[in-house]
Amino acid sequence: MAASSAGGKNFKVVLLGEGCVGKTSLVLRYVENKFNDKHITTLQASFLNKKLNIGGKRVNLDIWDTAGQERFHALGPIYYRDSNGAILVYDITDEDSFTKVKSWVKELKKMLGNDISLCIAGNKIDLEKQRNVSVADAEAYAASVGAKHFHTSAKLNKGIEEMFLDLSKRMLESTFLDDGASSSRASKHKSVTIVEDAEEPKSGGCC
Amino acid sequence: MAAPTTTRKKKGFHIDEAELLCKKGCGFYGTVAWQGYCSTCWRGECQVSRQAQIESDALFAKRLYESEMQQSGPPSTLAITPDQQASNDPTHMALTFPPRSPKPEQPPSPAGQQGVVSPGGAPTQGGQNETLTFDKFEEKRKQRQNSKTKSMKTLFSKGGKTPSRAEGAAQAPHARLEKQISMESQRAMGDFMEFLKILNRPAAQDLNKQCRAFVERLQRDSNLSVEEQAELVQDFYHSMGDRMSTHSAFKGTTSEQCSTMMDHLEKVIMTRLYRDLFCPPLSDDEQKDLAIQNRIRRLRWVMPSMLDAALNEDNTNVERLIEKAQEELIDMNSKRAPIDKLCCIVRTSKLIFQMVHQSQGAPASADDYLPVLIYMVLKANPPQLHSNIQYVSRFANPNRLMQGETGYYFTNLCCAISFIENLDAQSLSLTQEEYDDYMSGRAVPPGSERNTEPICEGLRMMYANLSALEDLRIRQDSLMENALDLQKELTAWRDGVVDRVQEVLTSKPLVVKRFKVPRLDDDITQEDNKDLPLPLQPVVVPMKPIA
Repeated sequence: MAASSAGGKNFKVVLLGEGCVGKTSLVLRYVENKFNDKHITTLQASFLNKKLNIGGKRVNLDIWDTAGQERFHALGPIYYRDSNGAILVYDITDEDSFTKVKSWVKELKKMLGNDISLCIAGNKIDLEKQRNVSVADAEAYAASVGAKHFHTSAKLNKGIEEMFLDLSKRMLESTFLDDGASSSRASKHKSVTIVEDAEEPKSGGCC
Repeated sequence: MAAPTTTRKKKGFHIDEAELLCKKGCGFYGTVAWQGYCSTCWRGECQVSRQAQIESDALFAKRLYESEMQQSGPPSTLAITPDQQASNDPTHMALTFPPRSPKPEQPPSPAGQQGVVSPGGAPTQGGQNETLTFDKFEEKRKQRQNSKTKSMKTLFSKGGKTPSRAEGAAQAPHARLEKQISMESQRAMGDFMEFLKILNRPAAQDLNKQCRAFVERLQRDSNLSVEEQAELVQDFYHSMGDRMSTHSAFKGTTSEQCSTMMDHLEKVIMTRLYRDLFCPPLSDDEQKDLAIQNRIRRLRWVMPSMLDAALNEDNTNVERLIEKAQEELIDMNSKRAPIDKLCCIVRTSKLIFQMVHQSQGAPASADDYLPVLIYMVLKANPPQLHSNIQYVSRFANPNRLMQGETGYYFTNLCCAISFIENLDAQSLSLTQEEYDDYMSGRAVPPGSERNTEPICEGLRMMYANLSALEDLRIRQDSLMENALDLQKELTAWRDGVVDRVQEVLTSKPLVVKRFKVPRLDDDITQEDNKDLPLPLQPVVVPMKPIA
């Protein structure tokens, strides 16, 4: 849920993709601006946090890395439950990883419908010579599922900033659209809490 | 002993015996750890200071209540049901409980007020309670115990004469349970009061009142299902959150202050309601706890390499971290508030990151973190795992649970448990036969000695020796086998030789022919010998005497 704390909007973004496609490098580059660096200060790259300011709105991104090994595939739903955005990463030199992305997309669409904003990242464009996934195919596929496609390289620091920014913007938009729905939900919530508020008139009467 | 002291005395190292004695002068020795008191006096001192603390908390609560009353006018102006009146009694006051009450958490059910001594300690005594002495408390305790045993007897002999007594008896075991736990609640209450003291008056009052009302309300409706209770608790968090941002009492509080207030609220409420809400008897939590515990026990053979966990267990640092992480996981069960349980998970995760960092020298990604977490859960086998997870997900403040780092770690723990529940041969990259063998205990994975390593050094040595012996036995067996082979080979070779000799003998029989001696010709021999040198002749050499 896009909880809006006093500071601004909180978004949960999951990173999905096969092992070794560079999810971790991608997010480390984004948050720490470092690649394969010995001076990386963080002990971990599985949960990272980034604060943005988009058009005067404060946005707080919680970036959840997920385990990419095949054996953990079934755990996906636990991870992406309640997330606002997903970044699906594949390696442009590895066709299988792209197939995997397709299966993730299918699953996400089935479980979350259109509540989630998707980004597909073709990572490792520094290895353009060994490309195995054609640009046209990938972009056409992304368009067909309503996702944005980005060409990224954690090594060269390309495309990453843009991708996160675009995703954040889209998540912001969708929460605005959602606001009508959520307000109705809130009112429903209130009707539940009325029992608790039964105390309130008492204190209200006294003040 | 005596000799060194006498020598040291000269160097001014003497300690007078009087200094070693208890400060109270009871004649026993005191220790530094007890600030110079002996054990008995120390306990007494502690008791006194704790009483003082509790009393001051109660007083504070009373003051809060009184000022609240002044503002709101006498309670009679409001239509209050008897039940509410009871809850407005200054002794019930707030979340604090009257001093020295052994069971502050007793739900204020009507039966409780008639049958046994009420939680607030006889409501009729009203405000006097705060000044009760310890003796009175003791007396009361005895009284209650008597009434309990009496009612027990009546229950058994006559099937319960009066309803109130029967109810009192039914509550007896419950009361005892609560007595055990009162320590934690007391501490939580004390912390909460400390916290309220630093808040401004109206906010403290409001928090106190809301908490009290909520706890009582939840304890009154004892027939709610867990889901309904969870919903109530969540609604409470929600409405308190709203209240903090809208209500006049909380004007001027920052969002950080709000979140600390929420944390304190959560802590105090959940600590008090823990008994009722953790692993409720109506749910199947307990069965699931046992199921997962057994499951983990059967999976003890799983090794880090099977999960692709990048752990260098030979590193002593890593080993120490592994132990600490397990302690934290196990410790989770002993915490009462969801927020404290979550903190345990966070600490476990931090330790995991450290050990991965030490093992591979790079920041841990989720690819590294999750397998190690699974391995930790398997190794630690934390008690009541399922119940703890359920409890946290039902009753934790959603703002904390769903967001941020804590939420991430908690989700990962859920993932780990789900993985363990559904684990099969494929998920450990084993063949089905291997998996079945390991599961049934027919075989152990190679190099798994470490995994089953018992904590006791002696046992570990025994296992090491056993495995050495086993190794020796195998080698002995193979040596024996080889020796037998060699023997067999030798016999076969000998037989072969004999056979062949026999064969040759039969095919080529030995026929002895008469030997013709050629006649020696003298001439020829002389001819032959003439080139040869003359045979050596012995010569006598005269010896010179040595001068």
